[in-house]
Amino acid sequence: MYLALVLAPWVLMYGLSTGVMNHRVQLREVYGGPLPAPVFEREAALEIAPAEGASAKEVGGEVLAALGMEGAFNASVRKADGAFVINRLDPIVPRRVTVAPGSGKAVIEKIPWDSRAYLERMHRRRGYQHDYWLEDAWALSVDVFIAAVLLWALSGLWMWWEMKKTRGWGWLALAAGFALFTVFVVTI
Amino acid sequence: MTFLHFNRRAHLYLGLGLLPWFLVYGVSSIPFAHSQYFEELDKAKGLPLWKLREERKYRIAVPAEGDLRPVGARIMKDLGLEGSFGTYRQGERQVNVYIHTFLKSTQVKYFVEEGRVTVEERRFRWDHFLTGMHARGGFEQDGWLTKAWGGVVDMVVVGMVWWVVSGLIMWWKLPGKRRWGWVALGLGVGSWVVFMGWL
Repeated sequence: MYLALVLAPWVLMYGLSTGVMNHRVQLREVYGGPLPAPVFEREAALEIAPAEGASAKEVGGEVLAALGMEGAFNASVRKADGAFVINRLDPIVPRRVTVAPGSGKAVIEKIPWDSRAYLERMHRRRGYQHDYWLEDAWALSVDVFIAAVLLWALSGLWMWWEMKKTRGWGWLALAAGFALFTVFVVTI
Repeated sequence: MTFLHFNRRAHLYLGLGLLPWFLVYGVSSIPFAHSQYFEELDKAKGLPLWKLREERKYRIAVPAEGDLRPVGARIMKDLGLEGSFGTYRQGERQVNVYIHTFLKSTQVKYFVEEGRVTVEERRFRWDHFLTGMHARGGFEQDGWLTKAWGGVVDMVVVGMVWWVVSGLIMWWKLPGKRRWGWVALGLGVGSWVVFMGWL
């Protein structure tokens, strides 16, 4: 029970985001379009000198530090013009920073708030690949959530078994669930 | 039957009925969260992921832009393939059709200029089997059973929200547990706020 109370925000987020992803097409009509694209926020002068052969990730880290925007990010080099494109992975206001080679400036765009996008972002956020302890803490919370789900499944079964009155309907619910699940696995 | 009794029973039977989905979402989250580990584990086996099953001459008109789904459906029909699918442009000269069932995945590559098609099958991997189920949803694919899966995913969503709401009600009805419950709830909500503010 206490574990469920601690993890209640995670349960709600994973539940609601699953609903959003299951209804992407329908929600496009409700929201009046697809997920919002980044919009121009500002330009900033940039004086960085990345080492020759530096990876996109190294340059991305340098750019974000120069702009005072440190935090989790991913970075790539745009094939068309060789610009560095850095996505700063903020949960509420993610930003895209583009640095064209030799331009001496960074173009910063932000992604407008959209509850669908927020839920999907949080659903997909995981892993220990970033260099920040809070990112690792989030990844750990995801692992704890996974362990909790398995614990709830097993402890739920045990609690049901201890309530003799509910065994009949419980067997029916359990059997119906597993039968339906098996049909899905072998047919679709 | 009182509301509290109904609440407890709905919490229980919904949990039992949806247990396979709950387990799949839980277990499959492990390869999602630690994908690199599972990739390296599989790489160590030294086995190719895709195996060529068929290669032959084939021609079909591909529109320069727009929806490729009808093209994918036609390619599948001509090659005798079935399942949920997606059609993607892989550069200007190639169209890929990816067909997924829970137990098998097939990839068709159509090389437009060469008039050639290859059919490859993916080796079964438990982590892919689980993540494939985890990621499946929506109502866009043909077939009533596929749409029914989307319906069950909706039930899981309702179940998860219901478990939170009904769990809160059950906790509140246990006055002896309120103090530590508040601590747990505060800890959860507080850490969520920290994550949202500083991640």
